[in-house]
Amino acid sequence: MPGIVNWIKTVFSLDKSARRTPEELQAAFRARYRSFRALLTANNNALEAMAEMEQTLQSGQTFSMAFVRSRSTAVMVNVYKMIQHLTVLSDGRYHHLETVFEKISTHLNDTLEEAPRVYSGEWIIPLTRLRRTMADEVGEKMANLGEVASLAGVKTPPGFVITVSAASYFLSANNLAPEIDRLLQMLDTDNLAEVYTASAAIQQMISNSRLPADLEEKIYSAYAELEKETKNDVTVAMRSSALGEDYAGASFAGQYHTELNIHKEFLGQSYKEIVASKYTSRAILYRLQKGYLHKDIEMGVGCLAMVDAAVSGVTYTRDPANPASSWVILNMTQGTAQRVVDGTCNTDLFLVSRQSPHMILQHRGANSVNSSGSGLAFPDILTMKWASRLTEIALILEAHFGSPQDIEWSINKQGEIIILQSRPMVAAIGAAGSDSFLSESESGEESSLCGLVIGKPCIASENGHFGFPQNNEWSIDKQGENNILHSKPMVDGTDEEDRDNSQDEQGAGHPLLRGLITGSQGVACGPVYLVRSSVDMLQFPKGAVLVVEHPLPEWAPLLTKAIALIGETGSVAGHLATVAREFAIPAVFGVVDGLKKLTNGDIITVDATNRTIYSGKREDLLAQAAQQPDLMAGSPVQGILRNLLQHITPLNLTDPGSPYFKSNYCETLHDITRFCHEKAVVEMFRFGEKNHFDQRAAKRLMGEVPLDWWVIDLADGFREGTDITDKTICMEDIVSAPMIAIWEGISSFPWQGPPAVSVRGLGSILFQSTMQQGLEPAVASPMTAKNYFLISKNFCNLSVRLGYHFAMIEAYLSDLLTESYVTFTFKGGAADTNRKIGRITLLSEILGQFDFRLEQKGDSLTARVEKRPIEFLRQRLKILGYLSLHARQIDMVMNNQASVNQYREKFLTEINAMLSKS
Amino acid sequence: MALFNVLIVDDEQEFRTMTMKRLSKRDILCDGAEDGEKALERIKKGDIDVVLLDVKMPGMDGIETLREIKRLRPLTEVVMLTGHASVESGIDGMKLGAFDYLMKPMELEPLLEKLKDAYEKKKMQQDKIETAQIKRDMAMPS
Repeated sequence: MPGIVNWIKTVFSLDKSARRTPEELQAAFRARYRSFRALLTANNNALEAMAEMEQTLQSGQTFSMAFVRSRSTAVMVNVYKMIQHLTVLSDGRYHHLETVFEKISTHLNDTLEEAPRVYSGEWIIPLTRLRRTMADEVGEKMANLGEVASLAGVKTPPGFVITVSAASYFLSANNLAPEIDRLLQMLDTDNLAEVYTASAAIQQMISNSRLPADLEEKIYSAYAELEKETKNDVTVAMRSSALGEDYAGASFAGQYHTELNIHKEFLGQSYKEIVASKYTSRAILYRLQKGYLHKDIEMGVGCLAMVDAAVSGVTYTRDPANPASSWVILNMTQGTAQRVVDGTCNTDLFLVSRQSPHMILQHRGANSVNSSGSGLAFPDILTMKWASRLTEIALILEAHFGSPQDIEWSINKQGEIIILQSRPMVAAIGAAGSDSFLSESESGEESSLCGLVIGKPCIASENGHFGFPQNNEWSIDKQGENNILHSKPMVDGTDEEDRDNSQDEQGAGHPLLRGLITGSQGVACGPVYLVRSSVDMLQFPKGAVLVVEHPLPEWAPLLTKAIALIGETGSVAGHLATVAREFAIPAVFGVVDGLKKLTNGDIITVDATNRTIYSGKREDLLAQAAQQPDLMAGSPVQGILRNLLQHITPLNLTDPGSPYFKSNYCETLHDITRFCHEKAVVEMFRFGEKNHFDQRAAKRLMGEVPLDWWVIDLADGFREGTDITDKTICMEDIVSAPMIAIWEGISSFPWQGPPAVSVRGLGSILFQSTMQQGLEPAVASPMTAKNYFLISKNFCNLSVRLGYHFAMIEAYLSDLLTESYVTFTFKGGAADTNRKIGRITLLSEILGQFDFRLEQKGDSLTARVEKRPIEFLRQRLKILGYLSLHARQIDMVMNNQASVNQYREKFLTEINAMLSKS
Repeated sequence: MALFNVLIVDDEQEFRTMTMKRLSKRDILCDGAEDGEKALERIKKGDIDVVLLDVKMPGMDGIETLREIKRLRPLTEVVMLTGHASVESGIDGMKLGAFDYLMKPMELEPLLEKLKDAYEKKKMQQDKIETAQIKRDMAMPS
């Protein structure tokens, strides 16, 4: 058995040169313990950040690139710290971890710091040359418009695009990117005021930058071409056309700037302002919410000759609330289309059959109501003709682009339909697949969309008709009139009262108000918050119901905080309605006197689907509400987080006993944390084994218990004021919590083995008796010596001899669960195989009953409990204390199974008695 | 009686003065420097225990400054401040021997705790070296 002899020699430091003084030992212990503790803290921090990243990804909630970056940094720095501390604890072992870490962090950095694309294409492209495939150069909106322009029978305004390459050139010529990035990354996006400040600063910075002369020249020469094509000094509309703006599922509706009626001399300034509108507060928040990267969005700017619009509008080729519908929706108003999408005016709405000859199925609108506020003007013949022609074009576009479209158009004074924009339509969340509207209409009930009439006409129109250009070339099919299915005046929605009243009986809340339009379906409950100005906006509380007069696009940032939206005016085609649908925030428009009748702080339930607002909380309605969608689905930021997590969270190293539990099998940062933690604990356990101390520095423990017990104070293990020159110490002077617990175990029952002839002699007797059996080789005399406690206030390492084998108990008790542990190592063993196994089996059986984690290797047994409350660990220490003394008895009877059983029963009984006493 | 000395290195005047004011109230002796060069000058004069160092500064950047500080005064502990979270500067800082990093903006309490930890480490290292020195002196009395 030379192994154990050497081991014991090491423990007791027979090699004098390596001995340490108590001061050195204390310093070594403190340094070591400090590293250990720091490693555990880093471990906690790393795991916490990992969990946060995972939860955020799973929850579907919005997160920013700044979040992804800061949490990645936290994980990486903390894992790095763990490696450093483990290196200290293990005296340089496991250095291979650094290589592994380096490899993983390179992956992570590459993912995080992906360089922005460099745009080096043409600066100007005329609309006639544009096609859908050029979206990367000019943005989705203009690429689509170019495609529209290429279709037979569809007209667009003449114009050109200033490409994203031009914008990128403009920004880089002024070296703006670093400062913009800095401002954005420091932004606390929950703080609206801060977002506004940063947004204003960035926009100003861009607007005030110089347009490079070569770019300016190109813009003006393209403008000169446009003049030739149209007329001198033609005014233009400048439209933002950002990259990724019209991705399916993200419309960026109204997030950027459009400027109308721009004169020649303002081209440059307007261009800069539109490029700057990439950083409006609502665009910043929108990108955040949807998970787009600022650097991935570059601004193309369309420069289109102004259309002298007589009538403008927006066409949805499908009903957003009901994608399976068989009609298209036309919203129209006089003048430019901007008023429709701004939500500032009420519009006429037509439902037009998708079937040729495209009859008007229903008409609701400002102009259908005459000046006395009652009666209905049927759409005139001209309107029907235009509706039919517009529908025809809308269906061409839908067929060409292959999905329902949201089309903005104008009709010029010459009577030409000019398409200004066509983009994929955003359907309402949870839209029904059935023809619900039509069936309801046919059954004579009000439909979900029939509320599109708004009480107050906002367009002065003498005869209640649109001012369509009269010089048209089409004749009207008289059949049209007969095909209007359902049309009745509906001004204040009173005919819905009855149905709603019947619903009220289900719950406590009473209907307070009714709206006319479902902007976005759903039900939500929260406190009212009225917003009349941007000052109110800053104080908008999270989770409130936003109440506004007009649903302006400017309020869009509040939709990241609001749970519902109420507007006194507005249409389903407005930008804010589009954004509300995207965020799945219930929105009701046409709520007359909403601002007057609602008070800040009132709790209301908004049932947008049924356009009714109730006082209080209507649980029944809320229960039916749709689930929050994953706003970030498919976005670049979500993709990055998902990618990062692949290198961070999967855990491959699960079993410390496995041969694969090695540093070179670490594949993720989680693996490294697991490995470091495990090895750090092992290294800490080896403290007593690795540190040689001068036995003369120990104080002898005076007490009733037989055997020699010696104590070495590592740090604050003795009561303050203890005489350190004294060669002895009493239990009363010990303040080490784990030592006290062990001692309670040792002294709980009197020694029942061979009589304790003398304190000094017992070991010898035991020793002799085993020697006589000839089972143990000769050992050096210090063997017979002492049992050592190395202690601090919370730490204890006890080296104790169980007869002629050796055991070590080590513990650290802390309020911090992760750093608390108790470990018991039992090593060596006399006797034949049967006895050895018998002994270890007995110990395992007993310890296993008390939640110890057991590991048996050859003739050594390790038992551990970790991360448990102090009281739990104190109980375990008592058990170990008890066994360390009393298990000696079994050496004598190890070959007699009956006696072993008897002892096991005795031990268990006494342990339970001991534990129940405390 | 001041607990220890901290040098705050940041090009943002407002941040510097605010932090100095708040730390001084907690009995920490503070000094400020607006860039890397000024920081090194101040450190050469001595008496700095812990440096709070912004990573992103015009001129000599934080990482470069850290490298110099560690060369001049290996025992001085440095806590890095990363305004915009850059993973690389976080890790690079740690590799060059920074004590830890903090993300701007931060609360006072975590900052204090971090500075105290850094100082404690510095003191411990110092004690260790002193003890070793005394031991050497005693072994070989001149």
